Amino acid sequence: MMNILTYTNIFFYGSLLLMILGFVIVFTQKNILKIILGLNIAETGVNILIVFSGAIRSKSAPIITNSFKDITSMVDPIPQALVLTSIVIGFGVTAFGLALAVRLYEKYHTLDISKIRGLKW
Amino acid sequence: MVNPIWLILYPLCGAFVISMLYSFKSGFVAKTIAISAVLFNAVLALYFLVNTNTPVSITIAGFAPPVGINLVVDHFSAFVLAVANFIAVLSVVYSLNHIKENANKYYILFLLLIAGSNGMLLTGDIFNMFVFFEIICISSYALVAFEQNKNGFEASLKYLILGTLGSILILTAIALIYMTTGTLNFGDIAVKFSSVENGYKVLIAIFLLSGLGIEAAIFPFNTWLPDAHSSAPSPISAVLSGFVIEIPLLIIVKIITTILGFSSFSSIFVVLGLTTLLVGEISAFKQTNIKRALAYSSMGQIGLMLIVLGTTSTEALTGALMVFLNHAFAKSLLFFSAGSMIKSTGSYEISDYKGLAKKMPLSAFAFVIGALSLIGVPPLFGFFSKFMAIKSIVSSGGYLVATLILLGTIIETVYFVQIIQKLYNKKEAEGAIKQSSSLLASLVSIILIAGITGSMFVISGIINFGNLSAVSFLTKPFN
Repeated sequence: MMNILTYTNIFFYGSLLLMILGFVIVFTQKNILKIILGLNIAETGVNILIVFSGAIRSKSAPIITNSFKDITSMVDPIPQALVLTSIVIGFGVTAFGLALAVRLYEKYHTLDISKIRGLKW
Repeated sequence: MVNPIWLILYPLCGAFVISMLYSFKSGFVAKTIAISAVLFNAVLALYFLVNTNTPVSITIAGFAPPVGINLVVDHFSAFVLAVANFIAVLSVVYSLNHIKENANKYYILFLLLIAGSNGMLLTGDIFNMFVFFEIICISSYALVAFEQNKNGFEASLKYLILGTLGSILILTAIALIYMTTGTLNFGDIAVKFSSVENGYKVLIAIFLLSGLGIEAAIFPFNTWLPDAHSSAPSPISAVLSGFVIEIPLLIIVKIITTILGFSSFSSIFVVLGLTTLLVGEISAFKQTNIKRALAYSSMGQIGLMLIVLGTTSTEALTGALMVFLNHAFAKSLLFFSAGSMIKSTGSYEISDYKGLAKKMPLSAFAFVIGALSLIGVPPLFGFFSKFMAIKSIVSSGGYLVATLILLGTIIETVYFVQIIQKLYNKKEAEGAIKQSSSLLASLVSIILIAGITGSMFVISGIINFGNLSAVSFLTKPFN
C-alpha cells in the first residue's frame, strides 16, 4: 500500500485536489452551469482515484492473448470496470442537471441561484 | 428458496416494458404493469420475511462472491423489504387516482425507484450498492420535478447538487476501501478491514457517513429534504419519507458498525441523531405549509432512529426497526390524507384547512390517526415503537438523551395538535369537495390493527429482533 503511494503521489493527491477544487466551485459559484461543472470536476477526481487504486507501475493492460497470458504482470482490471460505470452515472446526472437548468431558465430567465428563490435555500 | 433477484428484476423490466409501450397514451398498460410489479414484490418480500431463518447468499452471474456479486437476504433486509414494498403497493394504488398526466413517465420512474431500493437492501457488494443508490437518487430527482412547476425544478436541482456531492463522497470511500483491502464484497471487507491502518479506517467511515448521510437527511445535510418532499407529488412524498430516506440510514449503520467494525461511532450516531431530531421537530413547528411540516417531522423520526441505532443495548435494532415500521405507515397515511386535502382545497397552507373535517371526514380522521401514531399515543403502534426506542436508550444509560427525545415528542405533539385543531375548527371551509377514499380507510385500519397486535407481540416478546443483533446483519455473506 505505502510503496504505491511513494512513487505515484501525484495521482493520489492530484485526484484529491481535483475533488476539493470541485467542491469549492460548487459551494462558491452562483451560476447553475458552473455548479454542474464543479460537480463534474469533482467526479473526474474520484474517477482518477478509482483507476489509481488498481494501477501498478510497469504492468501491462489486463488483456489475455494467445502469446501473453502472464496474469501477475497485469494491472487489476476491476477498478477500470468500476470507473466505466461511474463515468456513465456521472454522465446521466450531468444530463439531467443540465435539463433542469434549461427548465429553470425558462421559468426564471436567469441561471443565478441566488435569484431563484421560490423555496427557502 | 425463490431467487431474491426477482425483487429487483420485475420492477426494472417493468420500467423498460412501459418505456417501450410508450405509444399507449392512456397509461392503462403502465398502471397494470406497475400494480402487478409492486404486488408481486410485496408478496415475495413477505415470503422472505416468513421464510428467512438464517441469512441466505445467492450468487448471480456465475462468479463466486469475492469476485462476483451476491445478493444477501437476512432477517433485517427481509423486514425492511417487506415494509418498503407494502408502502409501495399503497402508494401505487393511491397514484391511480392521483396522477392523471404523464402516467407512463410516472410509473417508469416509480418502478425504477422501487428496483433501486430493493437492490440497495439486497446487494452484498459495495459498488453494486452504489449503483442502486444512484438509481434511487436519479429517479427521485426526476420524481421531485414531476409536477413541472417552479418549486419542483428548484427543489430537484437542489437535491441533485447535494445528492451528487453525496455520491462523490461514497465513491471516494469505495475507492479507498478497494485500495486498502482489495475487495468490494461486504463479507470480504469485514474480514480484511481489521488490518487496515487506523487513519484510513476513520477517513473511510467519515466519507461513507457524510455521503449516505446526505441522502438520509442527517442534520447538517438536511437542507434538500423539506423542499424535495414538499414539491413531489403526494404519493411520492409518502414513498420518499416512508422508506427511501430510511434505507440509506440503515445501510450506513450496517456498514459502519458491522462491516467496518467501528463500535466507537455509536456516540457520534447519538449526537447526530439528537441534533437531527431536535432541528427537525423545531423546524416542523414553524412551518405553515403542511407538506413541509410533514417533511421536517420525517427528519425528526430519522433522528430518533439514528439515536436508537447508536445505543449499544441489545434491543437497539428492534427499537429502530419498530420506529421505521411505525413511521413508514403513519407518515404515508399523513401524506396521503394531506394529498387529498391539498387536491380538494388547492392550497398547501395549514391555515386554509379550517373546518375541513366536516367536508372530508375520512381524510381528517386519517390525518388524526397518523398524527397520533407518530406522536405515540397508546392504543396505536407508535406508542409501542417509541416505548421500545426509549427503553433501549434508557437500558444503555442515556437518561439525558431520553429526556431530550421526550422534549422532541412534546414539540411534535404541539404542532400536530395545532393542525388537528384547524381541521376540526367549527368554521366552514370554502370550496372543499367531499371526497371519499377507501384506501385511506384501509390504511387507518391497518395502523389500528398493527397497534393492537404489535402491543401483544411486544408484551409476549414474539417480535424479538434482539437475537438479530448487529452481527447477524451479515453472517457469512459469501461462500
